[in-house]
Amino acid sequence: MSEQQSLLQLKGITKIFSRGTVDEVTALDNINVDVNSEDFITIIGSNGAGKTTLLNIVAGVYPPERGGKIIINGNDITNLSEYKHARYVGRVYQDPHIGTATKMTVEENLAIAIMRGKTRGLRAATNRQRRELSRSVLAPLGLGLENRLNALVGTLSGGQRQALALVMATMSKPAILLLDEHIATLDPKTAQIVLELSETIVTQEKMTTLMVTHNMELALRYGNRLIMMHEGRVVVDMNQEQKANLTVNDLVIAFERASGKKFDDDSILLHHN
Amino acid sequence: MDFFTSLMSTSVYEGLVYGFVAIGVYFTFRVLSFPDLTVDGSFPLGGAVAAILIINGANPWLATLAALAAGVCAGLGTALLNTKLRINALLAGILMMVALYSINLMIMGRSNIPLLREVTIFDHVAQALGMRADINLSIIVMVVFSAVTLFVLNWFLHSEIGLALRATGDNEQMVRGLGTDTNMTTILGVSISNGLVALSGALVAQNQGFTDVGMGIGMIVMGLASVIIGEGIFRPRKITTILLAVVGGTFAYRLFIGIALRLGLPPTNLKLITAVLVIVALAIPYIRKKIRHEWVPPAVRM
Amino acid sequence: MKRKGLIKILVCICLVLALATPFTIGCGPAMTYEIGISQLLTHPALDATREGIIDGLAEKGYVEGDNLEIDYQNSELDMSLVATIAQQFVSDKVDVIVCIATPNSLAAASAAEGTEIPVVFSAITNPVGEGMVSGWDSHPDQNITGVSDMISVADDVDLIVEIVPGVETIGNIYNAGESNSVFLAEKLIEACDALGIEVVESTVSTSADVLAAAQSLVGRVDVIWVGTDNTVVSGLEALIGVCEDNQIPFFPSDDPSIERGGIACWGFDYYDIGYQTGEMVARMLDGDGTAYDIPVEKGKIIFLSVNVAAAEKMGVTIPQSIIDQAEKVYEE
Repeated sequence: MSEQQSLLQLKGITKIFSRGTVDEVTALDNINVDVNSEDFITIIGSNGAGKTTLLNIVAGVYPPERGGKIIINGNDITNLSEYKHARYVGRVYQDPHIGTATKMTVEENLAIAIMRGKTRGLRAATNRQRRELSRSVLAPLGLGLENRLNALVGTLSGGQRQALALVMATMSKPAILLLDEHIATLDPKTAQIVLELSETIVTQEKMTTLMVTHNMELALRYGNRLIMMHEGRVVVDMNQEQKANLTVNDLVIAFERASGKKFDDDSILLHHN
Repeated sequence: MDFFTSLMSTSVYEGLVYGFVAIGVYFTFRVLSFPDLTVDGSFPLGGAVAAILIINGANPWLATLAALAAGVCAGLGTALLNTKLRINALLAGILMMVALYSINLMIMGRSNIPLLREVTIFDHVAQALGMRADINLSIIVMVVFSAVTLFVLNWFLHSEIGLALRATGDNEQMVRGLGTDTNMTTILGVSISNGLVALSGALVAQNQGFTDVGMGIGMIVMGLASVIIGEGIFRPRKITTILLAVVGGTFAYRLFIGIALRLGLPPTNLKLITAVLVIVALAIPYIRKKIRHEWVPPAVRM
Repeated sequence: MKRKGLIKILVCICLVLALATPFTIGCGPAMTYEIGISQLLTHPALDATREGIIDGLAEKGYVEGDNLEIDYQNSELDMSLVATIAQQFVSDKVDVIVCIATPNSLAAASAAEGTEIPVVFSAITNPVGEGMVSGWDSHPDQNITGVSDMISVADDVDLIVEIVPGVETIGNIYNAGESNSVFLAEKLIEACDALGIEVVESTVSTSADVLAAAQSLVGRVDVIWVGTDNTVVSGLEALIGVCEDNQIPFFPSDDPSIERGGIACWGFDYYDIGYQTGEMVARMLDGDGTAYDIPVEKGKIIFLSVNVAAAEKMGVTIPQSIIDQAEKVYEE
């Protein structure tokens, strides 16, 4: 492993919601994580552990509490607005509706993704060149989307939309890809397809990825690193070797040992099938 | 046949000139998903600016252009209230509309400016073509104006910036996540929309011979009704046909009014009917979903 | 698809009706005149004007249904309709367009330009200032004339001084959005300046604001005067209430308002103004003058009305000499 500077450094990230009220909650509590280039990190944790909050912080939806820092490729992006984070961050959401513009065509959606990070001008948004690019990017998916460039995205199925969202998020090669339980709402068969697609793209493009999942088995099977969160803190951080031969049960024990608490989130255990 | 022709020509002219209002409303309500009520204020603003400049000797073409710029500023105001001060879009529009009433009075210095004796762009064109300044001339002028505007708008909406604008209204979060400053696109869209509305006000004022501070009352309803009727009759799908459908809807709406006037329907009832029409059309998608059990209550009450 | 079909059918029905309508209008005896009357909104004064116009025409031999067709359109303050109606009259080639109030008169004048259709306005206070005509007596280039309802504010002020001697401040409530009112407000200041009386103004934009405006004048004025302002007249009762409660004498400018509770005024009956207008139109139809040369007239019939009971409620007594002069005396 080379000793280069990490791709993404999260230093002292804390996030408090509803500060000063009865509902005050510390969603993230002094998180310090270094993500290296080409890491594929799966993040698991019970509800309220802070997984989505962490992704939101990286994506710039809201800033961390003062003192926290987010550094990507040496750039401090802590206080930049969300759309400025987009230069470095690609994201696929859990809800297929959020990742795409349903009233616009497949081609137009991709055009927006292609334009990411570049200044928008008055040129025509879709031209032959971009159309070719779109087709070449969609064809490998095997979903027939390359023939439906003029279809309104609203007419696509949930799985097709997520696949499209995935392509859009990765098209311009962001520094880091965030997958936020992106297969959670899909049926098992489609979920498998999209998951394999994700892995293919990540491997091919050598993309640094953070994938939040509810599924412990997936978390073990995919990626080269596993982070488990609980109540806003990282309680488990295993690398490839450490997680290589673990079972879900082992993971539960590891959690209890690290957090000093009994693991009581059945929903995660139930997913192991 | 005389009645028919006169009804048709009036409706065509009005469809074209108020079509700008409808397009402006379509831009904000549908494309940007930004319910903008500024329209009731920016329409008379256009008339006020054009009129005050014309009676002070300005070239009517420049005056009309100035009116458009004024509308852009009004839209800018609303958009800034919403994006920078985080005031709810609906409220921002209402506040701007209320403010504009006073501003329009200040610009005009009085509530009503007659333009009878002034030279308007319609007079210019009439002279150039050697025609009388009648309804047919108005139609010719408006056809050219509309054609140019629609062409430019259509091209714009297919450009990169235009695409970003459309996406902002469709899925703002996604667009932000893909690197677009949605504050800028919102500002751009609302400004353009109100510029168009003010342009309409300036043209209407010059054609009807006066501008009145109360000219804008009900414009938003007219715009909405036109958009909804246009969508209902023509069922357009692509942006290009949508723009045409909106103008067509305005024509149909004004035609309906013209017919109602001839039949002696009191205009007070007209407003009620218009409101009912818009209510029905807006409620139909919801009712349809309910019937199919597809309705999902939104997280936030709209 | 159902909705699309329904709307198409609706449009078709409307078009058929539109085509059928021409055959019901315009069929009559050979020399039938057609007049378009454009009214701005439903309002007692404007309605009375219209009735006067129709009666004035009838008196001179132009009776509706006989040799006269009247197309009456009311835009109910919808400005876009104002233009549509004007255009409709021009396209229908009516013989005369009669307009009650300013915006529709301007619209008619604009639409009729270049045609030979004369425009006759009624109940516009200041047609010259409004840009309708270039001069009261002479406007040879314009096919426009009419009857003005300009009141003499100076007469009203004299009346106030007689009934409330020692008055030092007069309050005026009006809608700055009505140009007639702005004009009258200036006239008030003129008349008061001549007598060394101060004027305090309070403007409103809708009739709902009248109450607050009235209350804001309490303690600051001796007397309240109001011109022929449509907005304030709509909210008159609120104003009267405040004046009675605070013993501030209230002087409106038209007879219906006196009846409702004002003290006294020199006023027109809008019916008379309309009647005068009808006579003017009749002259034009007779061929006895055109809109080019008929000078703008002011309402000829002014009379004094007083309301004794109102005066009492507001703490003043109307001198008997004035009551004797009055044409209309209201006792309650």
